[in-house]
Amino acid sequence: MHFFSVVKWIAWKDLLSEYRNRENISSMFFFALNVILIFSFSFSLDPETLKEIMPGIIWVAFGFTAIIGLGKSFLIEVNNDCMEYFQCLPVPKGAIYLGKFLGNLLFMLTVEIVLFPLFVLFFNLTLLDQFLPLLLISAVATIGLSALGTLFSALTVQIRAREVMFPILLLPLSVPIFIGAVEATRGALSGAPLSSYQHWIELLGVFDVIFVVVSFWIFEFILDY
Amino acid sequence: MVATRFIGWLRRFEKWFGFVAAILIAAGLYTGLVTSSPDYYQGEVVRIMYVHVPFVQTAMLSYFTLFVCSIWYLWKRESVVDNACHAAAGLSLFFTAGGLLTGSIWGKPTWNAWWVWDPRLTSFAILFLTLVGYLMLRTFLEDKEKGATFCAILAIIGFIDLPIIHFSVEWWRSLHQPSSISTRGISIAPDMMVPFTLMGVGVSILFAYMLMVRTQMLYLQHLLEAKQGRLLSEGQFE
Repeated sequence: MHFFSVVKWIAWKDLLSEYRNRENISSMFFFALNVILIFSFSFSLDPETLKEIMPGIIWVAFGFTAIIGLGKSFLIEVNNDCMEYFQCLPVPKGAIYLGKFLGNLLFMLTVEIVLFPLFVLFFNLTLLDQFLPLLLISAVATIGLSALGTLFSALTVQIRAREVMFPILLLPLSVPIFIGAVEATRGALSGAPLSSYQHWIELLGVFDVIFVVVSFWIFEFILDY
Repeated sequence: MVATRFIGWLRRFEKWFGFVAAILIAAGLYTGLVTSSPDYYQGEVVRIMYVHVPFVQTAMLSYFTLFVCSIWYLWKRESVVDNACHAAAGLSLFFTAGGLLTGSIWGKPTWNAWWVWDPRLTSFAILFLTLVGYLMLRTFLEDKEKGATFCAILAIIGFIDLPIIHFSVEWWRSLHQPSSISTRGISIAPDMMVPFTLMGVGVSILFAYMLMVRTQMLYLQHLLEAKQGRLLSEGQFE
């Protein structure tokens, strides 16, 4: 089997499964919506102060979304006894990782694109001018988050207390991604030129490359079990 | 066979490591707390640095040891290497916690804060949380071989934090001071350099000694569990 056809078919399988039952995306979306509502109740601040903390609120919501969505990434295979099929596939196991990673990336980006208008609605933001930079920042940060989340999902799906272990393992190592994303989002929301926060996006890009490459290489050892 | 020879080697040399570490740490504490002069700006508070800096350096050294042993384990699959990984993780957590605590004690009189979200402190706290996650993962995985592999994977991914800790003071505007020993030169007074060196080397050798002892303990524990399992199964089939 060709490497890229395995990547394509695994991503397509996840997208098709999600399109049919919409279980993962809907739980991610409604959880994030609850987080946004709680934040909007909790902070009744003047617009200037709200603008300062807005990037943190956005990425906390996306972070919790990632925990809900990415944690269940391999659950469907474990519940249907399909992990053995993955182990028997005559391709580099990294192809399976890339397929799952692409599926998770698309789910996360879909939820983020739907959530941004809700931030505008509940917090009275004006995002139109910064739409493209925000899209770029979301995409770059979500790549890193999905890369780590997919790897740790495979790691924790086979152990007891996986719901506890997944966030405990994911959150510390994704802190550099969150810091970069929050700082870049702060720059974009303040209307500053791209050159003033470009270095944060470059930093996110470096982390993305490191996490994807290392996870791709190391995934084989997880599937041996 | 390899494991038995390795454990024999550890048993032969561990006492020497312990002895040298004790001498160096005693000398370092004496020179640091008694004979060295106080700092011009910090006063007597600087003496905490003779414990804090070696602890932080040893925490990073022990995580690097964990990283190397993890790669070695994934390559060779020897259980004694996994014992060394487990030992290194526990010791790394100990030294990281010690570094955070002593840094906090130094920070209160100097920065008027027990904690600041400075890049170096934040990345060092991430190291602490990664090690906690590592040890929790070991506890939750009942299959020893699976636990060893998954923990090795986590340790390799977590290694990204070490360069961030080291270079954070240069990449970002940090409250934490930059390295005193670098390619730009040494910016420590000579009478402070002596206790720093003695404590730095002493605590590193102490880590090596503790690693040797702990690895043997884990190896023997593993051996005992294996023998208990064999005895139980023999009893069942008699």
